[in-house]
Amino acid sequence: MKNTERLGFPERFLTALRVFKGAFFFGRKGLIIWDSWEMWVMQIAITPIAQIGFFAFLSIYLKYPVSVTQYIVIGNALQSMSFSAVFAVANITSQDKWQGTLPSTMVTPANRVALFIGRAWFQVLLSALIATAGLVYAGALFGVSFASANFVGIAVVIFLTSAAMISFGLLISAVGLYMRTALIVANVFLFVTLFLSGVNFPVSSLPGWLQPFSWTIPLTYGTTALRMAIAGSSLTALLPTLGWEALDGVLVMIVGYALFSGFETLSRRTGRFEEY
Amino acid sequence: MSKFSGLATGKRVDGYVSRRAQVLKAVMKLQARLFFADPQWVIPNIIAPFIFTLVAFFLFGGQATSSSFLLYLVLGAGLMGMWGTTIYGSGFSISFDRFNGTLESTLAAPIPLSWIVIGRIVFNTLQGLLNAVLILVIGLTWFQVGFGLVNPPLFFLAAVCTFISLAAFGLVLSAVVVLSRKGGFITNAMEIPVYVATGTMFPISILPWLALPFAYFLAPTWGIEAIRLSAIQGYVGIGTGYWTDLGVLALETAGYLGIAFLLYKKVEAYAKRNGTLEEY
Repeated sequence: MKNTERLGFPERFLTALRVFKGAFFFGRKGLIIWDSWEMWVMQIAITPIAQIGFFAFLSIYLKYPVSVTQYIVIGNALQSMSFSAVFAVANITSQDKWQGTLPSTMVTPANRVALFIGRAWFQVLLSALIATAGLVYAGALFGVSFASANFVGIAVVIFLTSAAMISFGLLISAVGLYMRTALIVANVFLFVTLFLSGVNFPVSSLPGWLQPFSWTIPLTYGTTALRMAIAGSSLTALLPTLGWEALDGVLVMIVGYALFSGFETLSRRTGRFEEY
Repeated sequence: MSKFSGLATGKRVDGYVSRRAQVLKAVMKLQARLFFADPQWVIPNIIAPFIFTLVAFFLFGGQATSSSFLLYLVLGAGLMGMWGTTIYGSGFSISFDRFNGTLESTLAAPIPLSWIVIGRIVFNTLQGLLNAVLILVIGLTWFQVGFGLVNPPLFFLAAVCTFISLAAFGLVLSAVVVLSRKGGFITNAMEIPVYVATGTMFPISILPWLALPFAYFLAPTWGIEAIRLSAIQGYVGIGTGYWTDLGVLALETAGYLGIAFLLYKKVEAYAKRNGTLEEY
């Protein structure tokens, strides 16, 4: 193996790209348990409809106007991607611990950012598929109209939200380096977004002290932008919201990387890579 | 084997019932030890029902003025809490053996696998009862829900029967997925569909007609109906009445148990013959 310490920036960048590519493809292969048709069907077809159905029927029971039910349906269609974007990504390090492969992964000289983002990136595609399935249900079963929708805008929102949410997954994954598992934190975060991210009701309905937390989650911007895109807003109109979402995603990624480096050092010092 | 050594105590235990009772006791004891050694695992089971309930309370907003309305919600949330832990216990009961490498020893025990799994599921469902109580306490304190039960003895009876039905349903699920390394994840995916189909937060009458057969097939649907009839003044629900609901619940629970034992017998024999249970 080449000693990357002696390489210049362009070569190091190309090496990192190769690591990213390898990790991206491994991102699917490494999902030993998940990689089968029934698991894909379960994630893409069942997860979104179950979640959308729960909150939509609750709204129908409460005799809310159709517009409110559709607001809830759209929010949940996008949030259902979190199972993949947050939960699956957060568990990358924990899964490595279970399988006994974390120490070997951590001793490789490969670029950490390229390695872990590469592995997580596969989930962006899956998340986008889940959200798309959710929107298909929204139109077919709950009467959400796409007549004036900006489809390019919808596609951009879905893709950007998927990418931004994996940064949260990676941040939680860093916790899994040091703790026995990231599953607990991932579970909490996954469901807390249902409450905080404007999925079921506007953020303004939350108590004032909670609202700043909402705006640290990329999904909050995503749900706002998606509703705007379905209503027909142009890309230009969506740009400010999408810009904030992208910035949020990058900031979370930077914090996640700092956390990852910190926990990596701590785990090396305390020998907790093996603990699960 | 006509004689059997007690698992936990080392005493010899004879007889069909006492042997199984001994196994259940030993398994539940082990589950309790595992739980207290690492209690953080209760969080994933509580968090989904808790957040779903919190969102529901927010959605109810100004409408949540009547205490019977809030009690309706809290009881549904309690059932969600119990279901969350049951499904976790049933799906992961064998998966964790695979992770930890203890599956072979478990299989080698001179008792049908189903009894070991029953012990695990019963403990997890009991844990779910704690979730239900926690949600109830939150409802009583935070959301000021009045907890005046119409008929406490009938409420208690319905709650116990629902508890048994959930454990039995969990056993069926665990039998279905026991051969699969994806078992835990498959049953996890059942969590929210069951919240929807059993009418935990809304009457099943508002579900599309296609979903109704599933709802009626699920024993907890009848359990939550009986619980609400015995707890909420003036509750009508499906309209079949408390004892009919309890009768259907009992019948379906018996059916689940029959199916589960049959499945376990076949699956265990198949797995031992083909050596596939350890597949990871």
